[in-house]
Amino acid sequence: MVEIKHLTKYYGSKAAVKDVSFTINDNEILGFLGPNGAGKSTTLNIMCGVIPSTSGTVTINGYNIETDPVKAKRCIGFLPEIPPVYVDMKVNEYLMFVAGLRGIPASKKRSHVERVMRRLNILDVSKRLIGNLSKGYRQRVGFAQALIGDPKVIVLDEPTVGLDPSQLIEVRDLITDLKRDHSVILSSHILSEISAVCDRVVIISHGEIQAIDTIENLEDSSNANTVLKLKVQGSSRDTVRVARGVEGVVNVSNITFVKTGIYTYDVEISSLDVRNPLLSALLVNKLDVLEVSEERKSLEQVFVKLVNQPAGKKKSLKDLLDEMTDETQENKDSESASDDNNKSEEV
Amino acid sequence: MFSLYKKELQGYFFSPIAYVFIGLVTLIFSGFFVWWIYTAASTQIEFSFSYFFYYNILFTTILLIPILTMKAFAEERKNGTEVLLLSSPLSVTKIVMAKFLAVATVLVLAMIISFIYPIIASIYGYVVMPNLIASYIGYLLYGLAYIALGLMVSSFVATPGIAMLLSVAVSLILFFMELMLGSSYIASIPVISDILYWFSNQAKFENFTQGFCQLSDLVSYVTEIVVFLLWTIISIEKRRFSRS
Repeated sequence: MVEIKHLTKYYGSKAAVKDVSFTINDNEILGFLGPNGAGKSTTLNIMCGVIPSTSGTVTINGYNIETDPVKAKRCIGFLPEIPPVYVDMKVNEYLMFVAGLRGIPASKKRSHVERVMRRLNILDVSKRLIGNLSKGYRQRVGFAQALIGDPKVIVLDEPTVGLDPSQLIEVRDLITDLKRDHSVILSSHILSEISAVCDRVVIISHGEIQAIDTIENLEDSSNANTVLKLKVQGSSRDTVRVARGVEGVVNVSNITFVKTGIYTYDVEISSLDVRNPLLSALLVNKLDVLEVSEERKSLEQVFVKLVNQPAGKKKSLKDLLDEMTDETQENKDSESASDDNNKSEEV
Repeated sequence: MFSLYKKELQGYFFSPIAYVFIGLVTLIFSGFFVWWIYTAASTQIEFSFSYFFYYNILFTTILLIPILTMKAFAEERKNGTEVLLLSSPLSVTKIVMAKFLAVATVLVLAMIISFIYPIIASIYGYVVMPNLIASYIGYLLYGLAYIALGLMVSSFVATPGIAMLLSVAVSLILFFMELMLGSSYIASIPVISDILYWFSNQAKFENFTQGFCQLSDLVSYVTEIVVFLLWTIISIEKRRFSRS
């Protein structure tokens, strides 16, 4: 378990991290999300004892990183942004060296390194120079390095940068797999990364924590009202009438003209169960549904909002989401009103 | 700490650096050896191992040791591998010591190879053993001091090439201080010449080559090594505070 309390770091007079506090529980994947330059790497580097903090404490498994660095660092595996690999070493040599650094007894080194290599699928390159490996493989070697010694806490600073999509999925699976016996903290500025694997998210911007919440909370609140995007062939007036007649449809708005006889509509429904009755009602009335898609309130919007809010004003994700829902509602209402006017003129 | 030492040493021998270093040291030694025999007094061939060492060590320390030490910290910083060491359960002191010992090992190997000259000389003539042993002790300490200096310079910068040039420059400055010490003008002002003598490595080494193993010289070399190594540690610790 990692406890970070009131962490502050100044570079000269510029604060890189201001009063950051959060905890990482056992067997948890914590996402650390923020735009570039928000202080993510600084925080992670302080956690791993690479740089000292100006004030505040980091406790890893009960060991303070400042006062008890050797014991604390034994519990941590760190993959920095640039994999810390020696380009003039072979993969297995490098991992054996790291195993030595972490204090693994010589008798167990070989089997341990082999196990880690198997786990990361790098056994086939174990005899190659790291300098000759592709970026994806280097990243995996860096990953392997973080796993050597089975540390309780694994810190990954942007582990998926520069990987191709299939490697991305592999890394995601690996991280999820790590959860069984490690705590993982994972930083990224890409939201989908975080939402794919993390249990909880810490959003940081301008060196300050903007929100700490679980992904579930985030998604629950964002799914309150689902919006279906429909593309329907037929009179827009009929479509709106039919759709509004279906029970569970809250609002039909944002009607846009695609081409003669084809419009798109945003239909807000109270639950997904309404979808089938709605579609059958449209079909019965001889309105061809060309496309159906579900629009979720994207976490991306929440993220942007959190990050752009003025410093010092902290809110929970839920508040922000509510606020956003209100705003979009208003927008939609005004849009639909004007759209309706346009429609009547057209038709 | 041992694993880092081993890795460093392997690094020197897997790349040509250690071979180039040992080769050049041996080449310079051999060159002087041959030259000395040719120019030795004609009737009774006699030459001094002391001078032999004296000239040799100038080349070794000023030009060759920076080749070994340049990569030590500068390259780690350049490649981002410094983070691996700093986040590992090794203190900075141990990191510095491991690197220092690795370079020292290469130097000792070069010295062991240089044993062939006294051996050849002893086959065909007579070698003054006390001088020779004291010379080797002096050689080792002198070399270690410059290794510590090279490591310190390497910890200041982020490019191995710059580290090497700077080390050569600093070694040259120390060497010129020696030369100034020899000038009659400086020698006439005791305060300056005393201070210069404190920092002069050559003058102390000369004592060793004469077969004198003085405590003051030993302490002075050891102090020099310790100061440079401490400075290296401080410089790395300081950089931790300001790195982003």
